[in-house]
Amino acid sequence: MPTVLKELVGIEAVSKWYMSLHVVTKIFIPFSISLSILFTKDPISVIPLILIAVAYCRISGISLSLLKRYILVIGSMTSFVALTFILFSRKPGNVIFDVTLLNIKAEKGIFEWRIFITDVALSYICLFTLRIFVMIFSAILLLGTLTDRDLVWGLRSIGLPLGFAIAASLFFRGVQFFISDFYTVREAMMARGVDFSRISLIKKFFLYINALIPLLSLMITRSYEVSMALEARGIAPGTKSRSIYHKPKMRRADYALLALNTLILFTYVMGSLC
Amino acid sequence: MLVVKIEDLKWKYLESRRQILSGINLKVEKGEFLAIMGPTGAGKTTLVLALNGTIPQRIPGEFSGRVEVLNMDTLKYDVSDIAKRIALVFEDPEIQFVMSNVEDEIVLGLEWLNISREEIEERIEWALDLVGLNKSFLVRQPNQLSGGEKQRIAIATAIARKPEILVLDEPTSDLDPRGKSEVISSIKKLRDEMDLTIIMVEHESDLVSELADRIIVLDNGRIIVEGDPSYVFRKIDYIKNHGVFPPEYVEIGLKLGVNGFPRNVEDLIARLREKNIKVRQFEEKQLFRDKAKIVEVRNVEYAYPDGIVALRGVNLDIFEKELIALVGPNGSGKTTLAKIIAGLLKPVKGEVLIDGRPIENYDRLKLSEKIGYVYQNPEHQIFNQTVWDEVAFGLKLRNLNYKDIEEKVEKCLEKFKLKRLAREHPFFLSKGEKRRLALASTYALKPKVMIVDEPTTGQDKRFSEEIMKTLKVLTEYGGACLVITHSISIAVKYCDRIVVLKDGKVIADGNPRLVLLNERVVEEGKLTTPAMFKIYKELNLPTPPPVTVEEFIERVKISC
Repeated sequence: MPTVLKELVGIEAVSKWYMSLHVVTKIFIPFSISLSILFTKDPISVIPLILIAVAYCRISGISLSLLKRYILVIGSMTSFVALTFILFSRKPGNVIFDVTLLNIKAEKGIFEWRIFITDVALSYICLFTLRIFVMIFSAILLLGTLTDRDLVWGLRSIGLPLGFAIAASLFFRGVQFFISDFYTVREAMMARGVDFSRISLIKKFFLYINALIPLLSLMITRSYEVSMALEARGIAPGTKSRSIYHKPKMRRADYALLALNTLILFTYVMGSLC
Repeated sequence: MLVVKIEDLKWKYLESRRQILSGINLKVEKGEFLAIMGPTGAGKTTLVLALNGTIPQRIPGEFSGRVEVLNMDTLKYDVSDIAKRIALVFEDPEIQFVMSNVEDEIVLGLEWLNISREEIEERIEWALDLVGLNKSFLVRQPNQLSGGEKQRIAIATAIARKPEILVLDEPTSDLDPRGKSEVISSIKKLRDEMDLTIIMVEHESDLVSELADRIIVLDNGRIIVEGDPSYVFRKIDYIKNHGVFPPEYVEIGLKLGVNGFPRNVEDLIARLREKNIKVRQFEEKQLFRDKAKIVEVRNVEYAYPDGIVALRGVNLDIFEKELIALVGPNGSGKTTLAKIIAGLLKPVKGEVLIDGRPIENYDRLKLSEKIGYVYQNPEHQIFNQTVWDEVAFGLKLRNLNYKDIEEKVEKCLEKFKLKRLAREHPFFLSKGEKRRLALASTYALKPKVMIVDEPTTGQDKRFSEEIMKTLKVLTEYGGACLVITHSISIAVKYCDRIVVLKDGKVIADGNPRLVLLNERVVEEGKLTTPAMFKIYKELNLPTPPPVTVEEFIERVKISC
């Protein structure tokens, strides 16, 4: 069964060993790494987490080459973080660069807009950029090693209600439906004479906004039909049932990895408290 | 023993202007096979949802009357309790597949019944076997199953719970002929091998006549006739007025004055063998190709990015004023060919000429004035805030002045009977109105060729005939229509020409009456021939056969 990442971008983990881990372990590893970054204070403390996340990606056999495809998105996100700290905030510290772009004197005071770079601002830029990378690697690890089936049985094995687990499964199927519907609607617009390669960005934007009408309509119709199908089987949002059919067992490797990642999380929590 | 007892059931959806069920009284005996028939909007699915308590427990509206299923009052027992004993299978096999593989799908309905793992395994195997599948299907995902297989999985999922009543809501209407026959054999097996009460909503009267013990015909929320198939289908004109068409072989048998009620085509043929049959013969000619050519498809090949070859050297010409049916099994390349003609896909080899010029020479605006494409699901192509704007969309793209746009839109709305809905939001239109709007918005550009993808799939016969009549009228104005369809009886009745695709190749192209006489084409194209063709073939009557019951009655006379 393909992983979520495989369905979305065609990349998945190839390590049989990692893929055979218990689903709770596969969920906990990226979750603990993501949680740990909340307790990082400086760029240096994030670096081990990046290394750990990359190491897990390598162990699981996920090719990180897909990052190349999204380099523009990642670049924009990091630039946005940098611009926020340079143009829209003033972090106190040793000033490295300071230039006034705008100075307006008004009755109520002076409005100033400056490029203000301090060593603390740079440190924050590094910290947030590195955190983004940890989040990206963790997300890749989670989506590249989990199938929607894993997710359902994983959520059920930790005692979440059946309705919640099904909703998680349906969410991923819903995303696939949404993407396929989007392309059909786009094609239908082309069939009526829209040439997406020639129209302005603004026109394109409004056409995509228009596309939301059929997409929402289809989503509502499908949700209604799915809920009918589930009700017909006697499954309501609050239906409680423990999984008796799928009961995969934890192995030593699972316990070891759970312990290791708990330790990492604990270390970061303690580090932030001290 | 009664398993269903409905007394004076009335129901109105919260936002609805009219009552959907207006005083239904119905009793169903244990082990009975009841068919519910009626036109779209008659209230069939609403009645089905009332059987397990979804109406009124989960859907808001005004409810009165009493529904008792297996001695459970649906107002007193929760849906989940009722669902343990009554199982429902819906029309769309795609949507009701909730989990990511077959095993999980069946297990989902079983786990909460608190049965052991061993019993779950036993029931899975048993249910799959009943619908003609096996354990090798357990690991399959929805995208690895055909429509018929998905629907059979849905039935297996339902019967694995060992319900006392199985309700099937149009289980075959979204399927191609092959899928249909797979599901029908599963239903026959269930009927014959299980002690089960089956209630089936179905448009196809042939199927109902063969399977059902009793039929109820619903229209406007009321039961207008009830009885066994031989009683209901004898009221030909009455039920036709209510959107239910008897099987063609029944109509032929009754109108010819054959003794008794034929249960199926074979039965009618056997009865006809005992009679002297006189046939007024006529000659069907091959198509004359004297009209102007609009589209030329030359040696077109197409392969999808994943390597699947969809078309292998297709040649096809489309002439003006032609209504053409494009038929063939699923995966034969029908939609791919249609999209190539509409310029939405580019062939990897070969060329497409529109009015003698290569398709690449047209920009999107010009091409959409030549070729219009109507999608199978109208919701995919409706993206404006009002019906008026939807029809005007393509015209506005061409920067016409407002007066011209207004004039053209008004004419179009008139033609497709949408004028009173001009200011409505398309979101709130009925299924049929949405279909008409999709046609109108494409037709507004007056394309020379309209391609219509499966307009009759999932529709009742009355609606399908209306759509085909509309398309026929459009071709009389000079344009051509290419209709992708699985309904051979509709195609043969309305289309001037039929093109049969198989494995990406055109295996037949010509006059429908003559093409369907070719047994090899019928077999390879998985085509279901109309009853008249079977009768003509079995009785060795002089061909070509008629395509409508009226034509049959006019041409064939019997005496003892």
